[in-house]
Amino acid sequence: MSSTKNNGPSPADMEYYYRQLYPFTDIFHWLNHSNGEATKDMTHREFAMAFRSGAYKRYNSYNSIAEFKSQIEKANPDRFEIGAIYNKPPRERDSILKSEMRALEKELVFDIDMDDYDSYRTCCTGAMVCSKCWKFITMAMMIMNITLTQDFGFKDFIWVFSGRRGAHCWISDKRARQMNDLQRRNILDYVNVVRDRSNEKRLNLMRPYHPHLLRSLDLLKPYFANVILLEQDPWANDENAFKTLLTGLHDKNLVEACRKYWTENPYRSSSQKWTDIDTLAAKEMKNTKRHAEYILKLKECKEDIILQTLYPKLDIEVTKQTIHLLKAPFCIHPATGNVCVPIIKGFEPEQAPKLLQLQQEMTENNDNVKETSLQKFIDHFETFVNQMIEHNEIEPSKKREYDDLLK
Amino acid sequence: MRRLAARRNNDLSFDDSNTSIKLENGSSASFSINGALSSDEQKLYQNINKTKLSFYDLPPQGEITLEEFEKWAIDRLKILQEIQSCISRNKQIKEIATIIKPQLQKLLPTTSATPDAFLERKKDYYSHYILRLCFCRTKELRESFVRSETLLFKIRFNMLTTTDQTKFVQSLNLPLLQFISDEEKAQLGPQLYQTASPILQFQLNLNDEQQRKAFFARERYIKLPFENVIELVGNRQVFIKDGFAYLAQFQQLNLLASEFSNNISESLIKTFQYIPRLNEDDRLLPILTHLSSGYAVTDFDQNDGQYGDNSDNEINAESVWSPDIMKHYPLSVKYLMEGLKRNHHLRYNGRQQLSLFLKGIGLSADESLKFFAKAFTEGGNMTMEKFNKEYRYNFRHNYGLEGNRINYKPWDCRTILSKPRPGRGDYHGCPFRDWSHEKLTSELQKMNMTPSQISSVLDSCTKGEYTTANTKVFEFTHDFNGSDPDINDQTLIAHPNLYFERSRQLEKKKKEVEAKIKGTM
Repeated sequence: MSSTKNNGPSPADMEYYYRQLYPFTDIFHWLNHSNGEATKDMTHREFAMAFRSGAYKRYNSYNSIAEFKSQIEKANPDRFEIGAIYNKPPRERDSILKSEMRALEKELVFDIDMDDYDSYRTCCTGAMVCSKCWKFITMAMMIMNITLTQDFGFKDFIWVFSGRRGAHCWISDKRARQMNDLQRRNILDYVNVVRDRSNEKRLNLMRPYHPHLLRSLDLLKPYFANVILLEQDPWANDENAFKTLLTGLHDKNLVEACRKYWTENPYRSSSQKWTDIDTLAAKEMKNTKRHAEYILKLKECKEDIILQTLYPKLDIEVTKQTIHLLKAPFCIHPATGNVCVPIIKGFEPEQAPKLLQLQQEMTENNDNVKETSLQKFIDHFETFVNQMIEHNEIEPSKKREYDDLLK
Repeated sequence: MRRLAARRNNDLSFDDSNTSIKLENGSSASFSINGALSSDEQKLYQNINKTKLSFYDLPPQGEITLEEFEKWAIDRLKILQEIQSCISRNKQIKEIATIIKPQLQKLLPTTSATPDAFLERKKDYYSHYILRLCFCRTKELRESFVRSETLLFKIRFNMLTTTDQTKFVQSLNLPLLQFISDEEKAQLGPQLYQTASPILQFQLNLNDEQQRKAFFARERYIKLPFENVIELVGNRQVFIKDGFAYLAQFQQLNLLASEFSNNISESLIKTFQYIPRLNEDDRLLPILTHLSSGYAVTDFDQNDGQYGDNSDNEINAESVWSPDIMKHYPLSVKYLMEGLKRNHHLRYNGRQQLSLFLKGIGLSADESLKFFAKAFTEGGNMTMEKFNKEYRYNFRHNYGLEGNRINYKPWDCRTILSKPRPGRGDYHGCPFRDWSHEKLTSELQKMNMTPSQISSVLDSCTKGEYTTANTKVFEFTHDFNGSDPDINDQTLIAHPNLYFERSRQLEKKKKEVEAKIKGTM
C-alpha cells in the first residue's frame, strides 16, 4: 500500500487506465508513420516496461494495435518507454546474434528538466513546480521550437509533459529519425549552450554570437527582467549572487568591489544588484583608459548571464544515442499520478489530468473518454500524428530532391 | 629479393572494386623489372601524382616484395600511431602537424620530383591499403584507423600550396559543391559574416575587422544538407537555415575530410567482408595480425649499442643513485631501483629490465658490475663470492661479454609489456598496466600532479594506452616553453630510455638558455 503514501496510482488503477483510456491506436499510428498496415517502423520498434518492483523489461515489440494493447494491459507496467527501430524485431533478440541487432532509426528527442534551473529557481524546490517556474520550461520550448524549425527545417515534432517538472520533445521528421549517433551528438552540441550546470563558471561565448545565439538572446532578453530579476530574484541570496552572478563577470576588481558592497549591504534584490554592477563598474572603469572596450566587455558578460539563466538546459544523455529509451506519451507518472500529456498552448503542469480525476470523470460520463479532460490532449495528438503522416507520404518527391543534393 | 609472385603463381593485386583483393591463379602476370614500374602503374601513379594527395579511391597496382609489404606498412603505422597518441593527449591539429612533419618527411615523403615521386606515391598507396587489411577487423580498429588517416589527410592537405589544394579539390569532382549565388549571399550576408568572423579571427588569425570583412567579401559559399558537415554544426561554425548549412570555401577541408573518412569507413567494412575470401595464409596473414595487434613501434631502437651520451662520464656506479640522475627515470625504473634498494636483490626479469636500461643510459660494463655488486651485497645477505658465482655472468652477458656475445638492447615498452606480468616480489613490468589505480594515484601525487592530470593518466591506462599514459606523465612533469622543435619534441614515448634522454636533454637546454640569459644581463 505504499502507493497511497505518494499519491501514485495502484496496479488496479493502472490496469483500468490501459484498458479504458490509453490511446494505443494513436500511439501506434504515430510510431508506424502511417494509418494503414503495420510497418517495420512499428513492428521492429523496441518497447521497455518498468514495473513498481523496480524490474525493467527491455526488447518487447508488437505486431498490431490489438497485440500492443493486450500485452501492455496484461503486463500492467508502471510506465513503458519507447526505443529505437531495429533491423530485426526486438522480441526475437534472444534467437539472433547480438552483433546482428542494429538500431536503425529513432525520433530525435530532447529532455528538459527543471532540476537544471535550480540555481535560479526560488519559488519551488525539488519535485515541486508552479506556474512561476514552469516559465523556464515554456521559454526553453519556445527557443527549441524556433531552432528546430528555422535552422534544421523540422516540421513534425511534439512536446510532452514528463509528468512532474519537465518536458520531452519528439521529432518525427524522417531526416531526424535517420540520424546516426554522431549526428545526434552534434545537433545536441549545436543547441546545448549552457554545458556546466553548476553555473559557477563564466560562459565566455565567442563574439560575435552565432546567429542562433543572437536570435535566442533577442528572444529571451525581454523575459529576463520579469522572470529572473523580479519573480525568481535568485540573487537576493548573497551567497548565491557570489556563486552564480559574480562568477559571470570578467573583471576581478569589479567582482571584488561588488562582493564588498553586497557584504556591507546584504539582501539587496536581484534587480538592485544587476544595477549595482553597472554603478560599480563605472567607478572601476576610471582605472582603465579603454572605456569603450570595458563597457563592451561588461555588456557581453551580461548577455552571457542572460543566456546562462534562461537558455534551454538539456539533459544530454537522452539525445545522444539512437538506442536511448524515453517514456511514452500518455503514460502515468508513477509518483504524481499525472498523465504525461502533449503540451498545448498555454499549458501549465496543474492542467495535466490526473488518473484519479479521470476515473471519476469516466464514472460520471458512462465511460465515454470523449467527455473527459483527457480528450483535448488526445485531439491535439491526433492532429499532430495526421499531419506528420501526411508529410511522411508526400515526402518521396521531396526526398528525391534532397537525395540529389546529397549525391 | 623475394618476389611475391615468384613463390607461388599467385598475383596479389587489388582489383577495381576498390577494396577487394583477388588472387589470380596462373602465371599470366607480366613481371616487371625490379624497382621499375609497369606502364599501367606509371599511369595510375602519374594521374594521382597530379594532385599530390588522394582519396585512395583507386586500388594500387603492380607487385611489391614481402619486405616492402611489411616495411611500408610499418612506416605508415608509425605515423598513424603518433597521430593516435596525439589525439589521446588532446593535441590540436596544428600541434600534431608540427609533431609529425619530421616523421612524415622521413617515412612517407611526397615531395620529390619525378621519377621518385612515382615510388613515393606507390608506397603511400600500398601502405594505406595494407593497413586497411590490418585494421578492418573490429569496430574499434576501424574507427581508430579512420580517425588517424583522416587527420593525416588534413595535415597533408594543409601542407599543400593553395594552387595544389585547388587542383586537388577540382580533381575530386564532388557534385555537392554547389556555390550559392551572389544574391543569396547578399541576402544572408549578416548571418554569414557573423558566423565566419570568430573563425577568421581565431583560426586564420585575421585580427583586424577590416581584414575579416575583405576576406568575407571575396569568399564564396557552398550550400549543402547540414548532415554533410555535421561536425561543424556541433561547433556552430556554419550558419544553418531550413536544413541547409552554408559553408565558406575556406572551411571546405572539413567537408573533404568528412567525405574522406566516410569513404574509408565504407571501404573498411567491404575489406572486412572480403578478408575470408582472400585465399591467403602463411605469407601475409601473420604480418597483418602482427601489425594490428597493438604493435608499438619506436624509433629509439635505431641507435645500436650505446644510447646515452656519457662522454663526460656522468653516469657511473655511484651517480645512478643520485637524485640528479634519478629524477630523469621513468616510473618503471624508479620502481626497480626502489625494489633493489629494499631487498638487495632483483629477480631475473627485473635484473634484465634494469641492467639493460642502465646500459642504455651509458653505464659501462665495469661500472654496472660495481653497481650491482654493491647493491646486492650491502644488505649483508650475500657475500661477494656468491655474487660473483651466481650473478656476475648474467650482468656481463647483457653487455655481450659472455656466451653468444650479443650486444643486447635496452627493453622498449613493447618488450616490457610482452614479458610475464610481475607477481609478488617482482619489480619489473609497466606501472601503468600493473599497478592498481590507488597505488598509481598516490605515486603520481608525489610527483606533484594535479587531480585532473592524474585522472587523464588513469584514463589512458584504462584504455590500455600505457605509452600514452607515460608520455602524459612526462608532459605534466616537464615544462614546455620553447617552441624549438629540438627541445620541444612531443612525440610518443615508447621506450624508458627515451624518457630518460628527453628529460635530461630538456634540462640541459634549459640550463643553457638560463646561462645565456644570465650572460646577457
